[in-house]
Amino acid sequence: MKYIYMLAAFAIPKFLEGPGELNVTGPKIITSFQIGSVTINFTETIILEWIVMAVILGLCIFLTRDLRVRAVSKRQVIAEMAVEAITNLVRDTMGKRWLWFTPYIATVFCFSVFGSLLSLFGLRAVTSDFSVLLSWAAVTFVMITVTKIRYNGLGGYLKGFADPIPVMLPINILSEVSTPAAMALRHFGNIAGGGIITALVYYGLANLSRMIGLQVPILTVGLPAVLSLYFDLFADFMQAFIFIMLTMVFISNAGPADDEPEPESEPGPEEISENAA
Amino acid sequence: MGFLSIDIGTILFTLLNLLLLFLGLKHFLFKPVNGILEKRQEEVDRKLQEAETAKSEAEAEREAYTQKLADAKEESAEMLRKATRRAQERSDEIVAAAKAEAAAVMQQNEQELERERRRAATALRGEVSGLAVAVAEKVVGREINQADHERLIDEFIDSVGDVQ
Repeated sequence: MKYIYMLAAFAIPKFLEGPGELNVTGPKIITSFQIGSVTINFTETIILEWIVMAVILGLCIFLTRDLRVRAVSKRQVIAEMAVEAITNLVRDTMGKRWLWFTPYIATVFCFSVFGSLLSLFGLRAVTSDFSVLLSWAAVTFVMITVTKIRYNGLGGYLKGFADPIPVMLPINILSEVSTPAAMALRHFGNIAGGGIITALVYYGLANLSRMIGLQVPILTVGLPAVLSLYFDLFADFMQAFIFIMLTMVFISNAGPADDEPEPESEPGPEEISENAA
Repeated sequence: MGFLSIDIGTILFTLLNLLLLFLGLKHFLFKPVNGILEKRQEEVDRKLQEAETAKSEAEAEREAYTQKLADAKEESAEMLRKATRRAQERSDEIVAAAKAEAAAVMQQNEQELERERRRAATALRGEVSGLAVAVAEKVVGREINQADHERLIDEFIDSVGDVQ
């Protein structure tokens, strides 16, 4: 699919126009409007997100049609396996108390995988827009912060920044912020970089074909497909998996371990006297 | 737009889309599938429960039957013992009755015999005395006192002893 698209998009026009240049750009702005002094851009990415969402939800509806307790269809088996796999993953990684979080993890995973796989169809991968990854990482960051405040109290959370000594404050703030930033950049870099490399390879091979006098850029057959196997399929799944794993680990680490009792709100009078003694 | 740009609009729409997809997945995938999984789990649990109940019921029934069988055996043994005892008693009774009857018959016979013997002895005695008187009359030629003779003869016979 990609090959055909690339052939159409790059090879043939370039063949006709002669060696040109390869532009790496961000998503196209379709329209933008002002709210106060803020400019809200409506970009290509949002349309692609809608396509991805439609595909995912359509797949869900298709898979969960006509569910039965017995004599299940193949579709139902797939749906059940997917749900059980993601549920088990969340339970094993985060613990039972976070099971309610499973749909969000599934959402991010599906969004990431399908969003990245758009590149297979010659579309711009949703995950090669940094803003998208930043949004997802921001949700993770908010969840981490909320969990920390929930289990340590606001005071405990703020005190955590001056831990173990107040001099560490800037470093602690940096480490807190770097968590989502690193997540977002890692995912973005892999997918966007993969896309650029694939485009460069096509471009280079097409030009090479022309240089050695071939009428049809025959060299673009083969190598890009192998590279696409890694940059599109493997990296997409890998990055989606890494992203959800990091999300789960960071969020569950923000709270107490599963087998620890819930934090007590106030120490009882006995404990206070014991401590005083 | 730049390749590595942070766009507030994209972020807002992406967050909104993320929320929508989250709700969508929850509603269209997790709710129905978890529902059906729960239902299946319930059915399995119910089946297990039923099997458990059936097993315990069967166990109880088996217990009851075993008890009944033991009771029946006990009862039949008791009946056999009773019947044996009764038969024994009955046979003892019959034998005793037979013995008693036999003894009675024997006694009666003996009495009869004795009586016969006595009668015969008496008759014989009378005849002998009569005969002796007649002989004596003939020999002596005169009449002797019948009564005296009879007494004499009786004395004789008594002194001779019983016939036996």
